[in-house]
Order: sequence, then C-alpha cells, then structure tokens
Amino acid sequence: MQEKLVEFANLLRENGVRVSLAETLDAFSASEVTGLAERDAFRAALRATMVKRASELPVFEELFDIYFSGLGEIIKQASQAVQNALSMSDQEFQKFLDQIEKMLQKEGKNLSELAKQLLQNNSGEMERKIREAARAVKLSGIERTIEENYFARALARQLGLDKIEAEIKQLREQLEQMDIGSELKAKIEEYLERRLKALDDIIRRYVRMEREKRDIKQKEDQRLNQIGEKSFYYLTEEELKKMNEAVTRLAQRLKNVITVRRKRSKKGRFDIKRTLRQNLAFGGVPFKLRFEKRKKEKPQVVILCDVSDSVRNASRFMLQFVYSLQDLYSRVRSFIFVADIGEVTECFRNNDAKEALDVALTGDIINVYAHSNFGYAFRNFVTDHLGAVNKRTTVIVLGDARNNYNLPHDWCLREIRQRAKKVIWLNPESRNTWGFGDSEMERYAPHCDLVEECRNLNQLYRVVDRLVAG
Amino acid sequence: MFSSIEDVIERFAKNNYIASRRIATVIYLASELRKPILVEGPAGVGKTDLAKVLAASLGFEMIRLQCYEGLDEGKALYEWEYAKQLLYTQILKDKISEVLVGAKGLTEAVDRIAAQDEVFFSERFVLPRPLLKAISSEQPSVLLIDEIDKADAEFEAFLLELLSDFQVTVPELGTIKAKHIPLVVLTSNNAREMSDALKRRCLHLYIDFPDRAQELAIVKLKVPEAAAKLAEEVVTVVQSLRKLDLKKTPGISETLDWVKALTLLNVNSLDQELVTETLDTIVKYEGDVRKAQEELKDYVRRVRARRGTEAGSDKDLLN
Repeated sequence: MQEKLVEFANLLRENGVRVSLAETLDAFSASEVTGLAERDAFRAALRATMVKRASELPVFEELFDIYFSGLGEIIKQASQAVQNALSMSDQEFQKFLDQIEKMLQKEGKNLSELAKQLLQNNSGEMERKIREAARAVKLSGIERTIEENYFARALARQLGLDKIEAEIKQLREQLEQMDIGSELKAKIEEYLERRLKALDDIIRRYVRMEREKRDIKQKEDQRLNQIGEKSFYYLTEEELKKMNEAVTRLAQRLKNVITVRRKRSKKGRFDIKRTLRQNLAFGGVPFKLRFEKRKKEKPQVVILCDVSDSVRNASRFMLQFVYSLQDLYSRVRSFIFVADIGEVTECFRNNDAKEALDVALTGDIINVYAHSNFGYAFRNFVTDHLGAVNKRTTVIVLGDARNNYNLPHDWCLREIRQRAKKVIWLNPESRNTWGFGDSEMERYAPHCDLVEECRNLNQLYRVVDRLVAG
Repeated sequence: MFSSIEDVIERFAKNNYIASRRIATVIYLASELRKPILVEGPAGVGKTDLAKVLAASLGFEMIRLQCYEGLDEGKALYEWEYAKQLLYTQILKDKISEVLVGAKGLTEAVDRIAAQDEVFFSERFVLPRPLLKAISSEQPSVLLIDEIDKADAEFEAFLLELLSDFQVTVPELGTIKAKHIPLVVLTSNNAREMSDALKRRCLHLYIDFPDRAQELAIVKLKVPEAAAKLAEEVVTVVQSLRKLDLKKTPGISETLDWVKALTLLNVNSLDQELVTETLDTIVKYEGDVRKAQEELKDYVRRVRARRGTEAGSDKDLLN
C-alpha cells in the first residue's frame, strides 16, 4: 500500500499539487487509521493529509478516482461487458464461471497464470499483474496521445498476450474433442473469444487512462499561460472570466506585500521623554516602554482610465484592476475619460465590480461614444480636479494616447507631474506603434516617471512588481 | 476520545451538529493522530461551531483564541504581570533590605538581588493567555484558534512550534511541555493564504456550503419548531441565492436566522411581501439585496405557476 501511496503522491505532484514528504507520511498513518476497506473514509484521509489548498481539490478528486478505482474499475467493466454479451444474469454467469473453472482444472494444465486468471475472472490478481507489467514498460512516462499505441503494444508484449492467444486457441481445439453439449460448447467458445478481446480492451483503456492522468493539470496550466500572453484585445468570454480571477489575485498579491510593509514601519524610535512620563507612577522605573508613533503615510492614487472604443476590451481590464486597487487602498480616486472626464470613485465604491464596470462603460457618467481626446480630458482634469493631486499622490494613466489629431495639451500632464509624487503611464498598445499616426505617446512620455507597455496579463504582473518594488 | 468514525457522527449529532462522513473522518483522524485541523471554507458554514461541538462531545474544556491583525505573543501566549511584580517589590521592601544587610559595595548588592531573580520571574507572575492555558491545562482541552488568516504572517510562524511539538518556550522559565496534548482546530476564511509550513503540520478540512438535503437536515435539527414546508422553501431560496454573484453569500447561520425569524412571525410558507421584509436577515449589502430580490421574484413566480397546476388550496399563501 505504501508504495501505491508514494506513487499517488508523485502523481499529485506531477499535476501541480504540492505534496511534501511529511504529508505523504501523514497519509500513511492516516490510511492506517481509516483502513482501506471503507472507500469514503480512505478518500477523506488522503484528502485531509495531502491536499491543503481548496483550489487543488478538484484535481485530487479526479486523480483519486482514476488512480484508486481506475484499473480495477476498467477490469470490472470489461468483465461486465463479457457477461452482457453472453446475456446471462449474475447467477447464471457465476454458475458458468464455476463450470469454466472445473474445465480448466481438467484441461488447462499448461495454461499460463494470467490466462487462468482472465478466464476465471480473478480481477484482483489480474490488476496486480497488469500493474507490474506497466511498471516494467515504464508506462508512467507516457505523455502524448500518439504514444498510446506504442505503450499498448509494449504492455501487451510484457503480459505475453500472444502466448495467451495461442493458449486459448489450443483450449478451443481441446474443447472440440470434449464431450459436452453443443450449446455449452458454443457458449464457452464465445466466452473465450470475448475474454481475449476484453484483455486487449483493458490494456488500451488502461494506457489511455494513464495518459489522461498526466493531462489534467497540464491543460489548465497551458491555458492560463496562454491567456497571460494574449493581448487584452482578443479574449473570448470564458477567457475574460479567467482573467478576472487573475486580476483579483494580482491585486491581492499587491495587498499582501503592502500590508507587510506597513506593519514593519509601525514602531518608531524609542521615545525617552514619553517613557519617563508614563512611568512616573512606578517611581521612574521604566516598566512600560514608549515609542514614537510614525506617521502613517497612506499611499494615494489617482487613476485616469481611457475607455474609448479603441481600447474597449483593454479598458475593461484596466478598470477591473482599478476597481481592485480601489478596494485595496482607502485613498484612490478613479476617473474615466474619452473626451469628457468623469469621476467614478463613488460608483466603484458602492457597486460590485461587474455593475460598476457596466455603469462606467455604458455612458452614464461620461459620453463614451465620442472620439478620444486626451488633450481635452487632461485640460479638464487640470481645471476641475487638480486638487486631487498632491505630493503624496501617484497618478496612473491608462490609455493608448491616440488623440485623433487634437491638441495634445501636454503641458497639463507636466503640471500634474509637478504636483504629484509620480506619474505612471500604462499603454495597452504595442511599443513599436507609439508615436505613429495620431499617437501622442512621444509627447506625453517625457512627463511620466514610468511608461510601460501593458497589453497582457504577464506585463501587468511585471508592472505591479515594479510598482511594489518602487 | 472517539472509538470510530461512526462514533464521531453520533456524538456530534447529539450535540446538534450534522457531520458529513468526510468531516467525521478528519475529526477522527485528528484525535487519533494528534494533529491540528485547519478548517477552511466560506463564512457561515459552521467552522467555529465544529470546534465547539468537538469540545462538547468529548466533554473537554474549550479554549479560544480569536486572531486579529497585530495579535502578538503577549496576547496569545503569556505576559509578565508587571504591576503585580511592582506591588510585591514594594511590600517586600523590608525583606529586600534584609537581603542586602552587610553587602559590601554596589556590586555585591546587585549580585545578591540577582540571586533572588527567579522569585520575580516565576510562574507566580505569569499571566497565561489562551495558548499557555491550553498547554498547561490539567484537563485535556480543545484549543480553537479562530480566523488565523486575520493574524499576521509572523504570528503564524510563531505558532509552528506549538503545533508540531506542543510545547512553548518562555525565556525566563524554559520550555513548557503540554501535560495533555490539546486538540487544535484552526479556522480560516481565506483572507490570506496560509504558509506551507503551517499547512504541512495540519490536517486540512475544506467545508463548503451544504447541499439541499444536508441543509434541510440542519434546519430541522436546529429549528425543530419551523414548519416543514417553510424550511424547505427557505432552503431552496438560499441555495439559489448562493448561485448568484453576491458580495456576501449567505451561510448556514443566515439560513437558520431566517427560518427562526419567519417562525417567530408564525409563517408557514414564503410569500413575496414577507420575503421583501425579512430579506435583510440573509443578505447584508444593498447591492446584494437588489440582486436577491430579482431572484426571489422569479422563485415566487415559479412556485405560483406550479401551485396553480396543483390545486387551488394554496390561494391564501400567495395573495
């Protein structure tokens, strides 16, 4: 059993579940407590000891089913199929098997072990034999669909399938000479035929199952990775959903880092004066130490997000990110613009993400069907909202800087930067198109502290990393 | 201790807790292997209750440590009672002068006082907090460390010694080993991912929202006075609400609150008006309330349609 558990732990690991050695040992002792006979308890024991993340539970459940009932189940089904083909009831089949066994005792002296087990429907022993053979041919190394045939053949050879075929053929010849009713003879003949086919079937299905085991997590990983590299512009509905999760996780990560940082700076220097004063009551013996309280510097963020048609898909994500950021810091003010500029802070605060985004993008706050005009938007921001920016504020601009040949008014950005702590521009357009056509990126970039291309999730990750570090 | 998984289920049932076989297995394992259990899952599925019932069903004392941001060793493990120490020095002033009689020079005086040090740093002046209490308890106990995800990562690291070796170190007193290894239950709402080191030391139990049948059984057990039909309807509604994208998904406790409230109002069956009036027992945010109302309108419409095809006897309920 231990061997099987170690193998299962390896399998979990291959599929991305982190199982440590200590946890495998726990699984041993846990499975000793519950025993194996009762499947649910055994499953619960492994689940509690080997899987520590809720997100990994589906993988575990799937693998458990495949691994612990896999081969046994396949053998059972194959045998069931044989029984069905002979159209016998359970009782009849059992009786029939008894007859076969008797016959084998008489005639099958030179049959191989596996052939006997196959014909007598001894599934436990068969399972053991097949697993042994699988180890011998290193079936666990299978990776791709096209290898299935190769491994199936190797496994069949290892099991000595051709020998069994010959043996069964011989058995049929012996059968001809036996003195039993022709009806029974036909039945047995069919049985032998079907059994042989069943073994072939078992091998094939087992090999496929092994391949699938290694596939579950891989597919998922590949998918996520692909989404990471895929531009915001070309995402399908389902990918959008996945992306939302990723963005939320990203914000969470940012939050974790920031919380730790704030914690570290909580205690200031030793404050002698206050310590002495506080401890006067104890005759000047410093029982209670006092520290200077550091002023908490709350990070302030102002976000200007372009929501024009040209960046529609990207801006949804940017807004989602803005929303998460706003959840994170208490002092975030969010603005959206096309030509007009409008504040969405309140709207984001009072609605959940999806609703807030809908409100922001349907034109209730600003006219989103206009042509983008960054210059106009910046000028309006400077006239109406410049008060939102002070020397502790980080201003983040999200947009492609496609200004439709309007006046760029880059002096506004300069003004913003003079007041702000930092100006960051994230552009969802590829870097080598900046400055061409109506793109005013070249004009705006000198007024920013950081300009980044941000057209997919991986880039967003990198930007966040840089923001957190800086 | 428990004798088997069935025993866990039975004893929990006696304490009004319906434990699924999976939960019972983990509890049984924890008691057999002496491992802490880390219980995770959405809010309101009975994680804290699990610890309470565990204590009750074994007849153990329950010691609870509620975690929060900034919780430190002093609050969780022990503190020196400075004031009491100070008071004792004042009272014992005479004794101190006796000790110091004949001391030559400052050095010797300090040495003499230092020799008496352990008087002041002994268990007499230690104020045990939940963790030390659980470790030094004369009786076996259940230690609940609630909402561990709210505590800081440093605190989590500090817990590791306790959870793997069941001992704590007080610098002045040395290492204190547990007389009875407590059964430890940690709960987490997943506000923060727990470290691998912590997870490795624990059995992991993920409790999700119960399915319809389970939830119905829980309602019947906890609010036996509720009308059967009402219980069924409430459970159906709550189950469908959980499928919505809500800011705060209603937990079992909310279901129970709602059933209790409706039962108090002498209601046998849900109708539109009542639902609107009492909805805030289960849904806590304004945005959620709106969404829930939409869903409920649908629900009542469906029920009405179904009843219409049955018989006219239920007219009174929905008009």
